[in-house]
Amino acid sequence: MNAERERSVTEAFVSLADSLVGPFDVVEMLDGLTEECVRLLDVASAGLLLADGSGVLHVVAASSEQTRSLELFQLQRDEGPCLECYRTGVTVGVADLQRHADRWPQFVPAAQKRGFVSVHALPMRLQDQVLGALGLFGATVGSLNDDDLSLGQALAHVASVALVAGIATTDRTRLNQQLQNALESRVFVEQAKGAIAQHANVTMEEAFTLLRLYSRDHDQRLTDVAQAVATRSIPIQQVAGSRQSAR
Amino acid sequence: MAGAVGPVESADRLCHACVDLLRVDGAAISYVHHGTSRGTFGSSDELSRRWDQFQFTFGEGPCLDAVRQGRPVVAGDLQDPKEVRWPAFAGAMLGDGVRGVFAFPVRIAASRIGALDLFRRTPGAIDDDVLDGAGWASQLAALPLLDLISADVDWEAIGEGGGWSQLESLERIEVYQATGMVQVQLDVDATEALIRLRGYAFSHDMTISEVAWAIVERQLSLSPDDFGTDPDGTATSLL
Repeated sequence: MNAERERSVTEAFVSLADSLVGPFDVVEMLDGLTEECVRLLDVASAGLLLADGSGVLHVVAASSEQTRSLELFQLQRDEGPCLECYRTGVTVGVADLQRHADRWPQFVPAAQKRGFVSVHALPMRLQDQVLGALGLFGATVGSLNDDDLSLGQALAHVASVALVAGIATTDRTRLNQQLQNALESRVFVEQAKGAIAQHANVTMEEAFTLLRLYSRDHDQRLTDVAQAVATRSIPIQQVAGSRQSAR
Repeated sequence: MAGAVGPVESADRLCHACVDLLRVDGAAISYVHHGTSRGTFGSSDELSRRWDQFQFTFGEGPCLDAVRQGRPVVAGDLQDPKEVRWPAFAGAMLGDGVRGVFAFPVRIAASRIGALDLFRRTPGAIDDDVLDGAGWASQLAALPLLDLISADVDWEAIGEGGGWSQLESLERIEVYQATGMVQVQLDVDATEALIRLRGYAFSHDMTISEVAWAIVERQLSLSPDDFGTDPDGTATSLL
């Protein structure tokens, strides 16, 4: 590891650790994790899927807020490397998706269409329980090197620990509740993005940026603002108008 | 709705299944909108309906708490002196010989619209397998509730397969985003926006995902006129 990369890695963990002190926002924390993956690892896109109480996977974070990218992760509730990783609890590495078109007839063409040709899925684990999977998509054929894989896994571990915040894996009711809250937060974020995109006539990515700006300017958690927008408890023009303060 | 099972009947069936499968003595589904109690919707039998309605009579109970808090609320023994959460409700239940009540929130796209309540005559904690089963059942309960609050839609046109695939069709990123967009387009809340989306899909023979993509990609914008029967833009008499 060269010095510059070492510093980046350290910064990534420090930033994750910082986000855990005090009240942190689960969507922002996990979004941050996927962004770090893209920055530090040899991958083009990263996304995180969490299982609900029934074992169904849902997208909870991604390095891009583009709807089509999110959909590619979401598709894996039905098939794909992340689902396999979640079910088996072990890393699934696919150096060349082309050779697995029969294995995942929906997922492979969808990934290729968006320019991804390799995938690695790493389990989010807490002791013996699998919570979900971290999906890493590459734009070039080939396997991730061991350094990248273990760094990705380390980031996934930190996120798992943060996510369940000290709840024992034996306390299933609380554990499920915690995961459910994270999933619900994501639904609110998507609804709020839609509402802002419609109101301000901007893309979903821009709508997310506005949401983020507003939450930072007002020192509120991202998902609290998203929920307030989705439930219409704050006027949308307040949040959609935060573009001005960005300039 | 010839030949189709109406929402009340399917809610009743679900409650019967809970009694059969989850080792409880009664089950009911209540409908709660905007945190206001609206009433019991389906039940396994008349007694369960009565028990469920106690919560609306007294304005307190595990179902209302489950909806408010968005998490399961369990009371293994209403007779336990430490159980002080709902004195009036507990008194009435104990009078009928009910010791345990377990309530699970019912959600549609993160909006809590009701609860599934399980009743037991014997005290005790709830087993993990019952907890799992109740989790599934409370997800399924979203369907009849959704049908109930969108009663103006022609459900004979439903072409999306069984209950699970219908529920799954709602749990998609593009549907969440489109719901937000429709909220602004029609100036309605999230539940109603979702009902409009679903109604548009059925009446135009499209999947919900197709409608959602068309909205997200701005090829389609919903207007109150899309629902000819109700020009003022209100979804149903229930909302």
